[in-house]
Amino acid sequence: MSSSGPGGVLVVGEAAANGALRPVSWELLTVARTLADALGGTVTAVIAGVDSATAQAWASAGADRLLLADDANLAGLLTGPAAAMVQQAATAAQPAIILAPGTTAGRDYAPVVAARLGAGLAADCVDVTVGGGEISALRPVLGGRAVSRVHFTPGQPAVVTIRPGSYARAAAGATSPTVEPLELTLAPDDLRVALVGTEAKGGEGSRLDSADVVVAGGRGLKEPDKFALVEQLAATLGGAVGATRAVVDMGWRPHHEQIGQTGRTVSPKLYIAVGVSGAVQHNVGMQGSDAIVAINRDPDAPIFKLASFGIVGDLFDVLPALNAEIARVKA
Amino acid sequence: MAALRPLTFAVLIKQVPDMNAARVDRASACVVTSGQLGISSYDRYAIEAALRLKEAAGGGEIVVVALGPASVKDAISRALAMGADRGIHLETADLNDADTQAVATALAQAIAPLNADLVLAGQTSDDYEAGQVGAQVAALANLPVISNVVSIEREGDEVLVRRDMEDGYQRVRAGFPLMILASTGLDEPRVPSVKGIMGAKKKPVEVTSVTLPEATRLTWETPYVPPKTTGGILVQDVPASEAAQQLVAWLQEQKLI
Repeated sequence: MSSSGPGGVLVVGEAAANGALRPVSWELLTVARTLADALGGTVTAVIAGVDSATAQAWASAGADRLLLADDANLAGLLTGPAAAMVQQAATAAQPAIILAPGTTAGRDYAPVVAARLGAGLAADCVDVTVGGGEISALRPVLGGRAVSRVHFTPGQPAVVTIRPGSYARAAAGATSPTVEPLELTLAPDDLRVALVGTEAKGGEGSRLDSADVVVAGGRGLKEPDKFALVEQLAATLGGAVGATRAVVDMGWRPHHEQIGQTGRTVSPKLYIAVGVSGAVQHNVGMQGSDAIVAINRDPDAPIFKLASFGIVGDLFDVLPALNAEIARVKA
Repeated sequence: MAALRPLTFAVLIKQVPDMNAARVDRASACVVTSGQLGISSYDRYAIEAALRLKEAAGGGEIVVVALGPASVKDAISRALAMGADRGIHLETADLNDADTQAVATALAQAIAPLNADLVLAGQTSDDYEAGQVGAQVAALANLPVISNVVSIEREGDEVLVRRDMEDGYQRVRAGFPLMILASTGLDEPRVPSVKGIMGAKKKPVEVTSVTLPEATRLTWETPYVPPKTTGGILVQDVPASEAAQQLVAWLQEQKLI
């Protein structure tokens, strides 16, 4: 059995329900390799829910060692079994840093793992660095308007979840990791939540997932009836309508149109954000879009940091002008 | 249908600035929040969920627990006005946002004597958005935790819960005691009635002074506004028609229309 010395990086991959790797799994290996090299340690990768070939291809993008978990209780990555898996992998790897994806599952088990290990925890980070033996991470706060750097106390493990899309994807074939099964030991307390089933998100929202164009409206629209402007632009472009949590919470739009952390994740060719400030919660659901257009009155709105094309202006002037201009060029 | 056993609920809430009123001050590279404080939005859904479960059983007790400075009494009053039965205020001058584990430890200690059947909290807070404290409390209190919850159905001594996940909705079942992290998609939080607001004044609030341990696992730098790094095009200070023309020209160039 190969051993990775203490002080390296443990990276947790994740598969979607259909067994395909989530892209963030590859992104994590990019940062894991960089950090391990800076620490002079190794990278141990752990994953469940994928076949061995997929797991090995993934781990070869930067890991020295692959721990492959295969336990029916890991279906759906419920917090109890998933936390046990990561904790047991940490026992095997003795890492200085545990990197988990900033997915729903990752952001659930990471705090549990950190609490059990007595480790420091920083969630949803966009950058992690090692300097002078100190680990620090940058994370957005205050609705995405600001960032704060978190410094971990040396000598204790750091648990970090990484926001999807923060790093480039590592390529397979960079390393030849050893492969070991991770036999999971589960306590009855780990199994107190039972998976009953999963259901697709239905309704009109399902079109959001496949639409090439998404036009999303936020609080800047000021009143529900003004969503007609968004609907008109979406219709003109053959796109689907999305909404932010704020307007869904206010009952202006149905929940199935909600884009973001507690809504849907979309990655269309073109995403147009209208009157959307760009809170972290929203951005995680759309930052994978190929092109992002933002229209907002506030030049400091965080959405402009993501935008490939931004217009600072009053949407009630810009949208009618935009609809007219599109009609003109299409005519 | 058999009568439902009345439950004891602990609802963890946080008082936060209204983030919709927050503005960036470029000169100091700081975010300026308004003086307006309220219950973090997700926590309001947690309160509503507890109220509905209590009402469905025709009884039970809802205890709201909040950590923070003296102003937090207003957040507790609001929760009591919505219908919670009593409050516990863990008063601390300096709410250490850094070490969420210290916050979680204080909360876990406060709820332990309640022996709550169901502990509820919001998925994340509106200000720091770490989404850590709830799950850390669950870990410290040895409670199973279900996050991102968008519906809760009680079935006897179990709940059937829907979670909003990347791939769809996950349905899970669990018995009590249990911790649930509330997401939007649950029932809309109610606005307190005048009667509720008056009644809240008579409800007990236990104030306990707590000192959070020094942050030993990590420290935070003061949040700052990062310089704009957008490589994108930004059009401003032009008439709407011109902005629209530039955008459409760009969309055509990018073959997006």
